[in-house]
Amino acid sequence: MKKVSLAAAFAASALALSACGGSGSSGSADGEIMIGAVHPLTGALAGVGSLMNNGAQMAVDDINAAGGIEALDGAQLTLGEGDSKGVADSGQSEAQRLISEGAVALVGTYQSDVTANVSAVAERSGVPLVIDVAVDDSILEQGYQNTFRIQPNATSMGTDGAKALIALAEANDEPIESVSYIHIEGAFGQSVFDAFAEEAEANGVEVLEEVTYPGTNFTDATTQVREAAAADPDVIVATGYYPDSLLIAQAVEALGPDVDAVYGVANGGFDDGAFPGDAGQAGNQVLSANYHYAATDERVQDIRTRFEEEYGKPMETASMLSYQAVVVIAQALEEAGSDDPEAVREALAGIEVDDPLLAFDGPITFDETGQNENATVIVMQIQDGEVEQVFPEDFTTSEPVYPTNR
Amino acid sequence: MTTSPTATDPGGPTIVEPDRERRSLKLPAAPLFVLAAVVVALALVYTVGQRETGLVTQSVATGLLLGGVYALVSVGLTLIFGVLGIVNFAQGAMLTMAMFLVYEMSTSGGIPVYVATLLAVPVMFLFGVLVQATLLNKLTMAGNEEGPLLITLGLSLLIVNVLLMIFGGRPLRVPGSVSGRVEILDAIMSYERLIAFGGALLVAGALTLLLRGTSFGLSIRAVSANTQGASLVGVDVSRVYALTFGIGSACVAVAGGLMAPFLSLTPSVGEQFTILAFVIVVLGGLGNVAGAVVGGLIIGLVQTVGALYLPGTGSLILVFGVFVLVLFFRPQGIFGATR
Repeated sequence: MKKVSLAAAFAASALALSACGGSGSSGSADGEIMIGAVHPLTGALAGVGSLMNNGAQMAVDDINAAGGIEALDGAQLTLGEGDSKGVADSGQSEAQRLISEGAVALVGTYQSDVTANVSAVAERSGVPLVIDVAVDDSILEQGYQNTFRIQPNATSMGTDGAKALIALAEANDEPIESVSYIHIEGAFGQSVFDAFAEEAEANGVEVLEEVTYPGTNFTDATTQVREAAAADPDVIVATGYYPDSLLIAQAVEALGPDVDAVYGVANGGFDDGAFPGDAGQAGNQVLSANYHYAATDERVQDIRTRFEEEYGKPMETASMLSYQAVVVIAQALEEAGSDDPEAVREALAGIEVDDPLLAFDGPITFDETGQNENATVIVMQIQDGEVEQVFPEDFTTSEPVYPTNR
Repeated sequence: MTTSPTATDPGGPTIVEPDRERRSLKLPAAPLFVLAAVVVALALVYTVGQRETGLVTQSVATGLLLGGVYALVSVGLTLIFGVLGIVNFAQGAMLTMAMFLVYEMSTSGGIPVYVATLLAVPVMFLFGVLVQATLLNKLTMAGNEEGPLLITLGLSLLIVNVLLMIFGGRPLRVPGSVSGRVEILDAIMSYERLIAFGGALLVAGALTLLLRGTSFGLSIRAVSANTQGASLVGVDVSRVYALTFGIGSACVAVAGGLMAPFLSLTPSVGEQFTILAFVIVVLGGLGNVAGAVVGGLIIGLVQTVGALYLPGTGSLILVFGVFVLVLFFRPQGIFGATR
C-alpha cells in the first residue's frame, strides 16, 4: 500500500503536476508521517537555515523517542528536507515536491517572500504550513486557511517593542522623550518602523529621525548613525539583520553619541548568541526587543544543551521556533487522531499548546488569520558578553541596566 | 589626453602607455574634469546642501575610506578584465576565499591578521596562476570569450559552496587587530579602514611600478595591446596570461585580508563587490590601475554622500547614474585612452 501511494506520488511529480486540491495523500501507511521543512540550506542564509533544519530534525527525533504519535498507534515522524536557497521560486518548488512526496504539514521558511510563495502552495494543496520564522504581516492577510504563524508579526513587534522600551525607561526613572530610528529598507524594516513610530507617538515619544540603509552593498554605518545621532535623541533604535546591525553597533561605539541606550526591535543581530563576541565593547549593554526562546524554562535549557551536543552550535531562537513548529504539528496530529492534512489543519485552527518554548504571554493559539495570539517580544541586553533577558520581570535572567553607561 | 602608440588592436583592451613628452605639454583633460566635478559637487553639498557640516565631512571621510576598499577589489579586476579580457565573475568569490584564508590563519594559527594577509598573497597568487593555466588558458588563447566567463561563474559557485561546506553560513569574525579610531576635522575614521585605504594606494603603486618599470610589465602591456604581435617577438603569451591572473588574485588577497577585520564573514560576503568592481573598472578605464583607484573613490563618495539625500538603495541608483553618464560622455572610461 505504501508502495502504491509512493508510486502515485512519484508519478505525480514526474508529470510535473503541482499537487492540487487537497489530495490528502500521505506516506503513512506503514506508520511514518512526513513533515516537510523548507529552509535556506544553501546561499547567503545557509547558516541560520541549517540551524533551523537541525532544530526541526531534533524535534522529530525527540517526539519519536518519546513514542511517536500515540493517537496513531505510535506512528513515527520523518522530516522531509527542502532547500529554498533563499529564493522564493525554489522554496515554492521544494514545497510542492515535499507535498507530492506525502508531507502532511510544512514548516518554514525564515524569509517573508519565500514564505508567501510557500503559503500559496500550502493553500492550493490543502496542506497546513506552520511558519517558524517570517515576519511580514501580509503573509496572513491573504485569507488563507492553511497558514499558521507562531512568532509575532512585524506590526506587533514594532508596537510591543515601543511599549517595552517606554515601560523599561519609566521603570528606571529615565522616561524617554525622543528616539531616532535606523532601519533596513524593505517590507521588514519599514513595517516594524511604522508600527513602532505609531505606538511611540501615541505615547508622546517623538521619532526625530528615520534613517534607512540598503540591504546590499552596506559595509559602513558611520554616516547613518551620525545622521540619527545628530537630532540628539534619548535612544537610538535599530531594525535589521546580523551584519548590518553589527556595523551599526560599531559605529555607535566609534561616534559615542550621548544617548541613554541603543535598542533593537526585531533585530536579527543584537540578541544573537554570536553578537557579544563579535561586537566586543560595541555590543556591551545593547538592548533588544525580540521574540526569544524562554531561557528561564528548564525544558528549553535541556533542548539547547542537547542541541549543542548534537550539532556543535548554540541553538538560536530561530532554531527553537522550528523545533516548536514541529511540536505544534505533532500535537495537532495527536488531537486530530489522523494524518489527513485537512484534519491536521482543523486541529491546528483550534489548538492550544501550553508551555511554549518561546517567551510568550501564554499558550500558542491561532486566531482566524492563523496568527499566534500570545506571541510577543521580550527585552534582552548584552551583559558581560552574554545575552540576558531583562524585561518584563516574568522572564528575567538578569536586572536591566538603564540608562546604559556607554 | 594620452594616446597609446602600441594600441594597434582596436577591439582589445588597452594599457595606457603615456607618451611622456606629450603628457608634460598636454594635461589629461578627462581626469581633471572629473576631479573638478567632484570638488564642485562637494562644495555644493557643503554650501547649499542643507546638511549639517559635521555630517557631510563624516560622509566624505566614510566615502573615501569605502572608496579605498572598492579600489582594492578593483585593481586586481582591472588587470584580469583589462589585460586578459576575461570577465571574471569569480572575483568576489576569490575575495571571500582570501578572507576565509586569513580568518583560518588568524583564528587557528594565531597569526596576526595583517601578517596572515601577507601570507595569503602568495597562496592566492598560486591559485590564480593555476586557475588560468589549467582552466582558462586554452579558451583565452583560442579567443573564446563566453567560455572563460562561464568557467569563472562556475568557479565562483564552487568556491562559495565549498566555503559554505567548511565554515557554515553563520557570520564569522576575524579577531580584532588594531582597534581604535582617529578623529580628523570632526570626522571619525577607524584605523582598520585607514589601513585598508593605505593598502589600496600601496597595491596600486606597486602594480603601476610593475607595469611601467619592469620588463615583465612591458610584456604584459605588449600582450594586452596585441597578443599576436607579442608572441611573434618572443613573448610567452600563455605564461603572461597565467601570471597576470595570478597577480590579479594576489591583489584580491590583499583586499580580503585588509577588509576582513571590519566585515562579517559569510561565504557570500564578497559577491556584493563583484558588480561594483566591474562598474569601477569600466569607469576608470579598462586595465588602468590609477583609473581603478580614482573610480573606486568616486563610487565610494557618490554612494556615501549621495545617501544623505537618497537613503537606502537610492544611493546605489546614484552610483549607476554616474556610471551611465560617464559611459555616455566618455565610453573608454575616465583614464581610458582614445582608440
